[in-house]
Amino acid sequence: MSVETLERVEMVNGLREITSQVWASYLDPEGLNPLIDADGPGRPDMVASVSISGVWQGHVVVACSQGAARNAAAAFLAMDSAEVTADDIADVLGELANIVGGNVKSMLPAVCFVSLPTVIIPAADSTTRWPGAVQICELASTWLDESISISMWQSKSERDEVPST
Amino acid sequence: MKILVVDDSRVMRQIVTRTLRQAGFGHHDVVEAADGRQAYDAVQSEKPDLVISDWNMPEMTGIDVLRSLRNSGNEIRFGFVTSECTSEMQQAAESAGALFFIVKPFTAERFTEVLSPILE
Repeated sequence: MSVETLERVEMVNGLREITSQVWASYLDPEGLNPLIDADGPGRPDMVASVSISGVWQGHVVVACSQGAARNAAAAFLAMDSAEVTADDIADVLGELANIVGGNVKSMLPAVCFVSLPTVIIPAADSTTRWPGAVQICELASTWLDESISISMWQSKSERDEVPST
Repeated sequence: MKILVVDDSRVMRQIVTRTLRQAGFGHHDVVEAADGRQAYDAVQSEKPDLVISDWNMPEMTGIDVLRSLRNSGNEIRFGFVTSECTSEMQQAAESAGALFFIVKPFTAERFTEVLSPILE
């Protein structure tokens, strides 16, 4: 089944399942601070992504506030959020994108490849764009009152070749 | 025993090490490598008893490391901890001689289940 035949809601549910596993393992093992659905994404302070190539082409993007990134690093490293460094935060955000992206790959047609992660800290007055791709689904959430969004972006050229159903 | 933990993410190496401890394997020595090339070299220099490796890394991927080791006649116990899990990858890992395939995100219980027969 190609990803084009999957309904957007199914993809969001897939992202939701993946993120629930990540939160249960690393970010909220005691189940005290789950992700909560948000109406829309907040303006991200940090963005991490992995690119997927092959039969399906696009990106898996984790975008979040500075506070969410710091909280994630603290949870991953089991330390106080005040103690985490900028390197810790970048490493954790990249690993989050890597784990989510790797699991998204299992939702996609076979023969796809996942890149190493890229972590971007956009300037305050800028936005991060993937001009060759269009967002096809997003799981916009809050976690510990901080915004975090996980989204999938598909190559425009691929979408042009295979119309969505 | 000495365990070589291989991942290009320092945070993930820490998490794997912490999970080993939580799974009851904290009494083993742990050494680290930050990419596939370092891992290959560390197998020669550190002579670990087990390698727990990520798959997708700079320099050499985890499967390249395993194949290179086997091609050089090294039969060290080797398994993967990776966020990617397809049947093709699992078959490739098994064919190359991997003992296990743990998918991220993982739990201490999963480590216990998979590693107990190897480390105890």
